[in-house]
Amino acid sequence: MNAILRRFLMVEWSGLLGAIVLGVVVLSWLSPAFLTEFNIYVMLRSFCVALLVGFAQMVTLAVGQMNIAVGALGGLVAITVGGLMETFGLPIAVAVPVAVGIGALGGLLNGVLTARTGINGFIITLATASAFTGINLGITQSIPYYKLPPAFVAFGSERIFGFPFLLIAPVIVAALLALFLARTIPGRHLLAVGGNPQAAELSGISRDRTIMLAHVLSGTLAGGAAVLAVAQLGSAQPSIGTDWLLISFAAPIIGGAALTGGNVSVFGTSLAVILIALIENGMVLANVDPYWVQFLLGALILAAVWLNRWRAVRTGGG
Amino acid sequence: MKLFCDSIRGLAASSIFAGLTAALAFAGPAQASDNKIALIPGGPHPYFAPWEQAAADAKKDFGIAAVDFKVPTEWKLNLQTELIESLSAQGYTAFRIFPGDAVGINSTVTELKDSGVPSAALAGCAQDPTDVAFCLGTDVYNSAYLGTKELIKAMGGKGAIVHLAGLLVDPNTTLRVKAVEKAVAETNGAVTLLQTVADTDAQEAADQKINALLAAQKDQIGGMIATGYIPSVVASKSLRTLGDKRIKFVGIDDDPIVLEAIKDGFVAGTMAQNPYGQAYIGAYALDLLAGGGCTVKDDAPWIQTPQTKRFIDSGTMVINAENLASYKDDLKKITTEIQGSFKDKYLTCK
Amino acid sequence: MTDRTVSTTSPRRLLLPGASTQVGLLAIVGFLWVVFTALAPGFTSPMNLFSVGRSLAIDIVIGFAQMVVLATGGMNLAVGSIGVCAVMSTGYLLQDVGLPIPIGLAGGLVLGGVLGALNGIAIVRTGVNAFIITLASASLFLGAMLILTKAVPYNALPPELGTFGRLRIGGYISPLLVIAAAIGAALYVLYRHTALGRQILAAGANPRAAAMSGVPVGRVIIFSHVLSGVLAATAGLMLVARLGAAMPAVGGEEWLLPSFIGPVLGGTLLSGGSVAVLGTMFGAALVTTIRSGLLVLQVGNFWLQLFLGVILLLAVMADRYRSVYAERRSLGRR
Repeated sequence: MNAILRRFLMVEWSGLLGAIVLGVVVLSWLSPAFLTEFNIYVMLRSFCVALLVGFAQMVTLAVGQMNIAVGALGGLVAITVGGLMETFGLPIAVAVPVAVGIGALGGLLNGVLTARTGINGFIITLATASAFTGINLGITQSIPYYKLPPAFVAFGSERIFGFPFLLIAPVIVAALLALFLARTIPGRHLLAVGGNPQAAELSGISRDRTIMLAHVLSGTLAGGAAVLAVAQLGSAQPSIGTDWLLISFAAPIIGGAALTGGNVSVFGTSLAVILIALIENGMVLANVDPYWVQFLLGALILAAVWLNRWRAVRTGGG
Repeated sequence: MKLFCDSIRGLAASSIFAGLTAALAFAGPAQASDNKIALIPGGPHPYFAPWEQAAADAKKDFGIAAVDFKVPTEWKLNLQTELIESLSAQGYTAFRIFPGDAVGINSTVTELKDSGVPSAALAGCAQDPTDVAFCLGTDVYNSAYLGTKELIKAMGGKGAIVHLAGLLVDPNTTLRVKAVEKAVAETNGAVTLLQTVADTDAQEAADQKINALLAAQKDQIGGMIATGYIPSVVASKSLRTLGDKRIKFVGIDDDPIVLEAIKDGFVAGTMAQNPYGQAYIGAYALDLLAGGGCTVKDDAPWIQTPQTKRFIDSGTMVINAENLASYKDDLKKITTEIQGSFKDKYLTCK
Repeated sequence: MTDRTVSTTSPRRLLLPGASTQVGLLAIVGFLWVVFTALAPGFTSPMNLFSVGRSLAIDIVIGFAQMVVLATGGMNLAVGSIGVCAVMSTGYLLQDVGLPIPIGLAGGLVLGGVLGALNGIAIVRTGVNAFIITLASASLFLGAMLILTKAVPYNALPPELGTFGRLRIGGYISPLLVIAAAIGAALYVLYRHTALGRQILAAGANPRAAAMSGVPVGRVIIFSHVLSGVLAATAGLMLVARLGAAMPAVGGEEWLLPSFIGPVLGGTLLSGGSVAVLGTMFGAALVTTIRSGLLVLQVGNFWLQLFLGVILLLAVMADRYRSVYAERRSLGRR
């Protein structure tokens, strides 16, 4: 029996999965409301935006870059989709692709600037983040767009049993992204450049083009996250994205990605998002004293990471 | 682009200001002054949108050289104080400030006073001991207390409530928590406080926490009180999505989503503030102070609040289904009243 | 100049000596000062210089708190949380316990060092990467502060603290700026002239090689985190002087980005093995200068961030082309 278990434990994300299973067991014992259909829906719905935000950072981490502008780009896309629908009355089918396209365009700008100038991507995206936020606030003067098509808002809250419609997008994206990274040539180039830029360049992979690709993908994913956030909140708030920065790094890195590039896991990132959402949901369910919430969040993340580490040491891995 | 953002801003403010300028026409341009007054919000936020119009109106109505609405780029105290310092270096003669932090703003205010520039707290107060001339706005403690009373009334005097609070590190949040607890305690056990959920000041965090709360205790909860702008909006939306009219809810501020939910019966009421009036009266009062012609009376009928000894209520009222259509007129009346009697009541002028 | 690059990163980066980054940054900051002064005379008014210098001082020390850990190839996401813990503990010692000011301040600094040590020990012992450990500890420290203080600010501190924060030397220099400069000088000496400094950089550049040549890598990393904690606490205490109060809303996540901006703009590599003390100061000065200049020029209210981003972008690109140009010329001469 140990052979299967050992093989499972060898997998990098198995510790995270263990922590999640443990969390689910504890919570369903602690709170009868935890496994109700409505809470499952609430929890699944809270993954959606964070998943895409995590992926948006993950693809830049894959090439050894970072994108400080995920949140700023998200905010810009959010108010674009809102503005197009409210002010210009465009249908959803036009507004959403155009807005996500703006995200891709912003990503392209990041990519071109980083690749062409050779300046550290951190600095470039820091500067563009400020610029994107400035455009966002300049246009909206911080006033949200409220009048969105009912069908769009409904998409953000409808469900079949415990399954929110909103989750459809991240699930498809996760599957495509996993396929892209593992099975396609550009996807492998991404990881190759992240892992060893010199070797990749020697084997004929264009470093610049790959970096641009990663940033375009990152912008697109951030845009997708923003559109979901607008649907979820039911209004296009200019403040969307302002608190994405930390979670965007935390999810991929807890999920096993290296800051230096070349190693990312779609599944690991997803598990990290699920773990954090589970902890946050659990604390509301368990009626934790608000003054203790921060402390417990830190302690539980530490415990989960330690569990994963312990597993890795036990199985002789990293 | 410029055009459509203007139209939105206009929407928010025009309805209030159209009637107001008419009401105040008799006041006329009382004096022409060369003061430069800056209105500083805590950061970019829809609540402050009416301030810009109010600034323009005050400049025109009172003949002030400049009344400018200046926004810190982000909701951070250090960006707010840098903005104030920079404007002060450029010759602004008076400041109306929404304190980014009720305690943290005081050092900057003291520096302004030392260089002869008066300032006053607007919308929210600075914590005593402070050098602001006075605070014109909402007493956060009283507003939360009244809101909870309103909620208890809507619930028929009994049941269990939850409190959706803002950032824990904000001193105002602590006051609101206490106010809600006090209102609950006064029912002698008929109403209980089930849970307080804090840090709901960001959209997504609020959405997640409020929905989790509903999932956990939907059937036990009889009412909810929100004391922050964002949780008010999010809870209104969540109750609508849920289609739940049994849970009573009282929010804060008049975001369109909250008003819409009141109209459709998902929200019992919301605590109104008077942003336009705050900025309009504020500019008027500071213009008098900044010229050096007037000083603040010590024995004026100030209201004492847990935060400060010199408080003027800019209009704290409940908006519910009954006064939904008329509350803006009521606020206008309050604004006219306060402005009309301000000089005699609170100032000593040469 | 201040740079010691013991780095083995990509050859592309090695072609760019850090020293030139710092000269370039200084030149750009100087250029912006000239431009802003010409456009808006108020920019160099004593009041504005004082105010800019004071906020810059705090940003610089926050940058140092991150820089010393970046040198080891790690990072410290808990700078803000350590800062606020130091702030509140000093507030408690001064206001509730009633200790004299120097002891209260020392208490805050010691707490900063201890929290930093906890980070360092956790990282070295578990081998989990610094990002995750300090992400969790940031939440733990902040949470512990909330539990202990119930987020009630201390606003009856000895008035001397607030007076110190408002003090002006020669009309426009804040003593806080002097403190930041003194810390900068001390760090310069540490990395440039001591064995410990060289060990830190060696451990950051290549831990394995450093360990083989006898550098106690674990101890060096723990030391850097202690230093980072003390510096974060220093920044927090400077803010206490600035605000005249100890409040729970300072620090936290708000320091995260500023802590990276200075060092990274100044040429500190995220991969470790290099520090740029002067660069960190110039990097922070660049951002502060642009922001202050735009405020004085009264550029676009809500649009300000756009201009800030664009000017920052132009500034780093100008620096980049200057250094590429300089490099070509020196190659040509050879």
